[in-house]
Amino acid sequence: MNALKIESLKKSFGANTVINDMSLEIPEHSVFGFLGQNGAGKTTTMKMILGFLEPDGGSIEVFGEPVVYGKSGTNRYVGYLPDVPQFYSYMKPMEYLRLCGAAAGMGPGETEAAGTRLLDMVGLKNNGKKIGGFSRGMKQRLGIAQALLHSPKLLICDEPTSALDPVGRKEILEILEQVTEKTTVLFSTHILSDVERVCDRVAVLHEGKLALCGTMEEIRAAKKRSGIYVEFREKEEWKKFRGLPELSHLFIHAEASGRGAAIRTADVDRTGNEILQALERHEMVPLKFEIEEPGLEDLFMEAVL
Amino acid sequence: MREYGAFTKKEFLEFFRTYKYLVMGLVFLLLGIMSPLAAKFLPELMKEFMPEGMQIALAEPSALDAWAQFFKNVTQIGLIILVILFSGSMASEYGKGTLVTILAKGMPRKTVIFAKFTAASAAWTGAYLLCFLTAWFYAWYFWRGEAWSAALLFSVFCLWLFGILLIAASLFGGVLFRTIYGSLLFTGGIVVLQFLLNIVPKAGKYLPVSLASQNMALLQGTAVTADLAWAAVTTAVLTVLFLAGSCFVFGKKQI
Repeated sequence: MNALKIESLKKSFGANTVINDMSLEIPEHSVFGFLGQNGAGKTTTMKMILGFLEPDGGSIEVFGEPVVYGKSGTNRYVGYLPDVPQFYSYMKPMEYLRLCGAAAGMGPGETEAAGTRLLDMVGLKNNGKKIGGFSRGMKQRLGIAQALLHSPKLLICDEPTSALDPVGRKEILEILEQVTEKTTVLFSTHILSDVERVCDRVAVLHEGKLALCGTMEEIRAAKKRSGIYVEFREKEEWKKFRGLPELSHLFIHAEASGRGAAIRTADVDRTGNEILQALERHEMVPLKFEIEEPGLEDLFMEAVL
Repeated sequence: MREYGAFTKKEFLEFFRTYKYLVMGLVFLLLGIMSPLAAKFLPELMKEFMPEGMQIALAEPSALDAWAQFFKNVTQIGLIILVILFSGSMASEYGKGTLVTILAKGMPRKTVIFAKFTAASAAWTGAYLLCFLTAWFYAWYFWRGEAWSAALLFSVFCLWLFGILLIAASLFGGVLFRTIYGSLLFTGGIVVLQFLLNIVPKAGKYLPVSLASQNMALLQGTAVTADLAWAAVTTAVLTVLFLAGSCFVFGKKQI
């Protein structure tokens, strides 16, 4: 079953089309990284999933139930962490979680138990302060606690790590990793290392459409654009290597720089052997010989530029 | 129901911790004390400050003067304080985005409206009751039996009902316009509109504003309960309409 199914979703604000015929499926128990530049429409999409914004066209289903704008029925399945979660500053963390529990239709005993457990998990257990005095990181952690309070089957996090310092980021990612066993996670960000760390599926949103979508392996395989980087100690050596006739066909797809070049190839093994054999024949020793795997950053750049 | 209870409780907590209760309580207590005191001692004060040799015939103050002060103060100061304090209720939720996480939990949107209305009405009722009982106590202290009249309770009830209408109006204004000013202007507009309509002969008896202007006439016997019955009905209907409108519009708002 799909935790989330979006079909040909459309949304524009005035003349500005934000989402243009986007379709997306998120299978249960996956951790889905939702990438895109600032203003690409990630938050807009999430708000439509929550029924806070009205789509201009298309449909959204959460666990098979259609999302109706203005109604919050499907939100029973969903835990949501906004990019900058806002709380009632005059409340204490546990008071806030009690309100959230009631809003989610939970019983008082259940709320108390889940609230205590979650505050412990996010490290706010013995904090008697009002939320007004919290730091950004603490608010983000309380945000995660409230989002997980009713044990949602789908957790939606809008840039949960973007505004945090490295320590805060690490804490949030660790918490996310903990919950992925039971919960499907949709998580938007533009910090690619976070995605590589926790996500098993990614989609890149660009110009209202998904420029890229699939499991991490699929995307890497489909976009295999590996390269071999060769660098020499002396400029003379590099010139000699560059002039080798048997390798001339490789330099068509190469990015040269000073004393070396990154050679693009579809078959790393074959090209690599070719280069190594040529080096051996001419008795040349390179400073560096390196196979470059495509990083998510390359894929992202390729998708959005 | 549990959502409603919890959100109403949150509203009460908010009024308490953001000192709205304190402000309302103090203002209305002060109005309750001031009204009979002013009625009692104003003539004496005026006599003190009058230039020598000048004579003004001042009637002996009565309990009616105290109630006149009471209704004047509550309508001119109390109701305005009430509306100002509650006009920001929706605006701040919209502005700060605090409802997002709560509504994302699946709580129906109309719960927000009903809870806010309940909490504001309860605060108004409490503060007004405090004000009335204080004024009554002092009026009784100064004038004993004179302080009570048969029409008093209905007259006091009329003003209370008008306050409830203003709460519903400011809530609707807040939902519609998302800002404090929107809420204030809407509520003010509703009142001004009634003053304008009041010019039309015979329209007066249907207008809610009569509930806040005919209070002394009731006490003096120049108006009777039946004269305000229609105004009370319109007020109740309008209150329900504002609430229903708030629920409807809020259900359609993008958050």
